[in-house]
Amino acid sequence: MILLHIGALHLADAEEQKTPWHRLTPRSRVLCALLLVFAIALTPNGRWWTWAIYGSAIAFIILASRVRLSVLLKRVAVEFVFIGVVILGTLFRGGGQVLFQWGWIQITTEGLTILGSVALKAFLSLLILNTLVLTTSIPALLHALAALRMPPLLVAILSSMYRYISVLEDEFHSMQKAARSRNLLRNPKRQRIIIGNMFGSLFIRTYERGERVHQAMLARGYQGLPPLAEVPKGGRRDILALTFTVAVLLFGQALYLFHAP
Amino acid sequence: MHHNPIEIYNLSYAYPDGTQALNGVTVSIRAAERVALVGANGSGKSTLLMHFNGLITPQVGQVIAGELPVETKYLKQIRDFVGLVFQNPDDQLFMPTVWEDVTFGPLNQGVTGQALTHRAIHAMRSVGLDPDAYGSRSANGLSGGEKKRVAIAGVLAMQPQVLVLDEPSAQLDPRSRRQLIELLDTLPLTQLIATHDLDLALELCDRTIVLSKGRIVFDGATERVMSDPELLDQHALEPPLSYSRPYCQVEDAQKQV
Repeated sequence: MILLHIGALHLADAEEQKTPWHRLTPRSRVLCALLLVFAIALTPNGRWWTWAIYGSAIAFIILASRVRLSVLLKRVAVEFVFIGVVILGTLFRGGGQVLFQWGWIQITTEGLTILGSVALKAFLSLLILNTLVLTTSIPALLHALAALRMPPLLVAILSSMYRYISVLEDEFHSMQKAARSRNLLRNPKRQRIIIGNMFGSLFIRTYERGERVHQAMLARGYQGLPPLAEVPKGGRRDILALTFTVAVLLFGQALYLFHAP
Repeated sequence: MHHNPIEIYNLSYAYPDGTQALNGVTVSIRAAERVALVGANGSGKSTLLMHFNGLITPQVGQVIAGELPVETKYLKQIRDFVGLVFQNPDDQLFMPTVWEDVTFGPLNQGVTGQALTHRAIHAMRSVGLDPDAYGSRSANGLSGGEKKRVAIAGVLAMQPQVLVLDEPSAQLDPRSRRQLIELLDTLPLTQLIATHDLDLALELCDRTIVLSKGRIVFDGATERVMSDPELLDQHALEPPLSYSRPYCQVEDAQKQV
């Protein structure tokens, strides 16, 4: 998910503001967001009221963090296109009442429920994750992940992805410029082949660069695990926020447990 | 401080594809000496540099850094002793922010807390970077000269006794190059500078080693080799500008009058 965001580096500069959400430590922000995402994703299909409650919690966070809605929605829209393609297949599931049939393609109530649920889950998760990324700088996020006991090697991989994606982008652009200066744009078919080749050579360069970066790491005493600096401790505010999140989560689940429709 | 921080005896190295990169190299570097290592592309400079820091362990011969031979079991101490600055700062600055990059080495050494902050600030100040202004910046947004400084700071923060630099002036504009020369001139460490920039070698180093096809073909005073155009030409090098045009020098002009 972070990779998708990194594509828009110019947007990724977290805006440092003084809002209740920003006053939480990055670790608590990540924890709140992840708790919400897990709760949203693990709720069984069709429990609309649970998501309504989670959605209002997310709306509350978005309001509290004062992210610019236009930026947030633009990013969610772009990402939703990718996810939309993947989940479209669930529409044609069998089961339930058949609403529409054309040849072997059929749309059923079951299919609609699943598609609606999955789409809603994805939308809500994207909203909260994007809010998190828009309000927290990537280095702070990486530190937070490390503090949350995510395997250090995984964090190191993420952090070098963050560091090198723009280097690769630059390299690709300079290759593109070099090709254009030699009249690449003549015919579109050739252009596709050339761009394919560029990706190929970019891949090989990435490999070689990886080798050199690893040597540079070894030269400064790297022994397989990235070093960890100290993390800021959370205060009462953080505990309060986490308690609130957990309470909302439990309330959302309880709705269907005790008042089964 | 050691008298001869780096000793190399009869070092040879061949790459897996059979290329003989180094062939019987014997060198001794004295403490606080600044030595230029020059040679054409493919003459074995980079391969030799990687031996100093244990990135390559010797196949034939021996490398001694400080008191320890470069062997797998001493790698940690050797890397604390010899700091290596890579040619391309983009290879060396791999952490998300400048501060994290400068503290990467000391953290690996086990330095933490106040001592860590102190070291990083000291290293950044000594390369002329303001820790407050640069610490939180990402390496992506820095200029070439700034990246080079951060790369050097990252190595200085480990407080090595020997500083090895690979092509330090490559890709720098004249002002950044000048600042780099001044910076290296002020650092009181033993320095080994691999470079094509013979003007830089002439300014900074009293001693020059010329490598050609994996062998040392000259080891002595920088001024002597620079004033020997034939030797330089033989090994695909060129005298620095200040030597190549004698008619530009005042004393020659007077002769003609």
